[in-house]
Amino acid sequence: MTATVTKPPAPPARHVRRARRSRRSREMWLLMLPALVPVVLFSVGPLLYGIGLAFTDARNTRAHETTFVGLDNFVQLMGDDDFWSSFRIGVVWSVSVTVLQFLAALGLALLLNQNLRFRGVARVLAVVPWAMPPVVIGLMWKLVYHPDAGILNSLLGTDINWLADFSLALPAIIVVGVWTGMPQTAVVLLAGLQGIPRELYEAVEVDGAGRWRRFWNITLPQLKPVIVAITSLDFVWNFNQFGLVYVLTQGGPGGRTRLPMLFAYEEAFRYRYAGYASMLGLAMAIVVLAVLGLYLWRQMREAR
Amino acid sequence: MRMKSALAAAAVVALAAACGSGGSGGSGGEAAKPGEPVKLNFLSLAWQKESLAANKQLVEEWNKANPGIQVTYVQGSWDNVNDQLVTQFAGGTAPDVIHNDSPALSGFAADGYLLDLSDKLPAELKSDIPQQSWDTVTFDDGKGKQGVYGVPFLQESQVIIANKKLLDAAGVRLPTTEQPWTWDEFSAAAKKMTKDGTFGVAWPMKSPVNKTLNLALNFGGTFFQTAEGKTTVKVGPEEKQVLQRIHDQLYKDKSADPAALGQGTADPLPAFYKGKFAMLPAGVYLRQQVAEQAPDGFEWVTLPPLKGTTTQQGAVSQTLSIAQDSKHPDEAMKFISFFLNGPNQAKLAKGDWLLPTSVKAAADPSITTKENGWDVATASAKALVVAPFLKVNGFDEWKSKVATPVLQEYYANKITIDEAAKRLVEDGNQVLERYQR
Repeated sequence: MTATVTKPPAPPARHVRRARRSRRSREMWLLMLPALVPVVLFSVGPLLYGIGLAFTDARNTRAHETTFVGLDNFVQLMGDDDFWSSFRIGVVWSVSVTVLQFLAALGLALLLNQNLRFRGVARVLAVVPWAMPPVVIGLMWKLVYHPDAGILNSLLGTDINWLADFSLALPAIIVVGVWTGMPQTAVVLLAGLQGIPRELYEAVEVDGAGRWRRFWNITLPQLKPVIVAITSLDFVWNFNQFGLVYVLTQGGPGGRTRLPMLFAYEEAFRYRYAGYASMLGLAMAIVVLAVLGLYLWRQMREAR
Repeated sequence: MRMKSALAAAAVVALAAACGSGGSGGSGGEAAKPGEPVKLNFLSLAWQKESLAANKQLVEEWNKANPGIQVTYVQGSWDNVNDQLVTQFAGGTAPDVIHNDSPALSGFAADGYLLDLSDKLPAELKSDIPQQSWDTVTFDDGKGKQGVYGVPFLQESQVIIANKKLLDAAGVRLPTTEQPWTWDEFSAAAKKMTKDGTFGVAWPMKSPVNKTLNLALNFGGTFFQTAEGKTTVKVGPEEKQVLQRIHDQLYKDKSADPAALGQGTADPLPAFYKGKFAMLPAGVYLRQQVAEQAPDGFEWVTLPPLKGTTTQQGAVSQTLSIAQDSKHPDEAMKFISFFLNGPNQAKLAKGDWLLPTSVKAAADPSITTKENGWDVATASAKALVVAPFLKVNGFDEWKSKVATPVLQEYYANKITIDEAAKRLVEDGNQVLERYQR
């Protein structure tokens, strides 16, 4: 449509076309309105409000008068050791969950793509974790990790309090995170695998390529767009994970699993520093966008 | 076409207005029309079976006797009550009558969410509860004025629940309320009972802060000091006593079961019934679970609180408060004074296996019997004094950000006592600073 408009057509037609175009765009807006209203009211509005809060000393209290403090919250955030340790935990968590999730899901997808017996059943079973809400998953794994009654300890014959141990708690929740996110990654990868033309495999088979070469030279490059998309989405999801960890450890023991979002929650709802928590949320959003932007930009450039 | 867009725009405006005004909806019950009963919401945190029954029964009794003031029982949970209240207060939907505990009140009082009850308390209720208990709910309103922000009704003291067979076998002197064990005697007894795979004691220290701080008063350890209106953390020789003694039991005497260390207070009970250890220091309420769950033939006793230089322990109390935004504070007060009168407090105390603040309730025969250690438990209330940390603004953040990890690491033998003290003070003062601007 834009192409037709930019070409200067004959004067009389131009007038008609502009009128038609403006009517069209008006219709378009009108049709979009029902969808736009909730987005503006419930997403854009609160978002802007949250960004605004980040530059004030707002507190969740009745007696407090909120004033504008500029970048004070940001300065405080940069000097806050607790924030940095929480940020480090967040990075360790989201990178390791995303990478492990991807590797496990790729394996699962390759397996489910084989001509196995009961493939249909296996595919359905693989998606089951996806159907569970994070809170239910959290409760279930809490039972698995339970120091006395948990099946993990009885399987291993150990007596470890997994979720309360300073060095084991983070790895323990990473395992849960991987388990939780694996199905959707696997399903997306499986879809990608099925989109690879068979002829490519047949062609390299003629050349005498083995399994490994086929995987390395055909499957991976063909899957690349899907891999980029799903890992970047996974990264965002994992970085913003809250419910699962809140149920499992509440950020304990001693803050060893306090992901950035849990930290923000505590600041806002336990210590009632709403302004500071908003700045934290804003900083996290910027970090995620920056990492994602860099990653996608590099991938795009390579693809070109 | 134009007509339609105008309509749509009007709809958007109306919707936005509706959403905007939705937040200011009244707190608790609606304003009563004449002839209609006043409605109150009562957020209760009762969770033990007997206590739930007692709470609900009292509400029912009240509703029958007072058709003009109808109370709705709302169930809450200790796990998330403060998070819930912060959002409800901010949204203007908080219940009228709120069950909580005194450490949480200081923050809500300073933030202006709770009603100052000092002028509303009926004389009878006021005189039935000793001043020392009222002190646990008297806080600064954030502007330098002191007010009473709740009615204290249940208190907890730390006692020791012991396996009678192992205790008798060790042949140690049995402590009594008049002649309690000193910490030295306690350590010696624990050492004696440690043999053949059985430990003398178990310290479940998943949430170590309140337990440690309350016991620290045995040696005069207050952990906080206030000078010139500025509160700072203090960890001196008095504060280190209890820390060191528990640590010694774990790593020097090896008389404490290491498996229990990371557990919550009630988690080691199955091991306790199996005789894996002989003594479990715990709040008086834990007797309920022991009495109900212990296998047949398991004999247990309640030992009185330990003595350091004194037997003093820090006390916090469960409380009922009224929301500042409640539309019917006077009716709410009436309900509270009924709910917490002597006989009713005895019922609630019995239901929760805790100690009543009411003088009348404490004399009730049902909570002074020898059965299930009630006599020892009720007598231990005498040693309760206001926990110093109650009045510290920012204690909650100090507790979860600094003290919990530091004490957990110290009890897990990952850091030395000096390192622990240093972090409690230095990191702690940084946190407190934030609340004293």
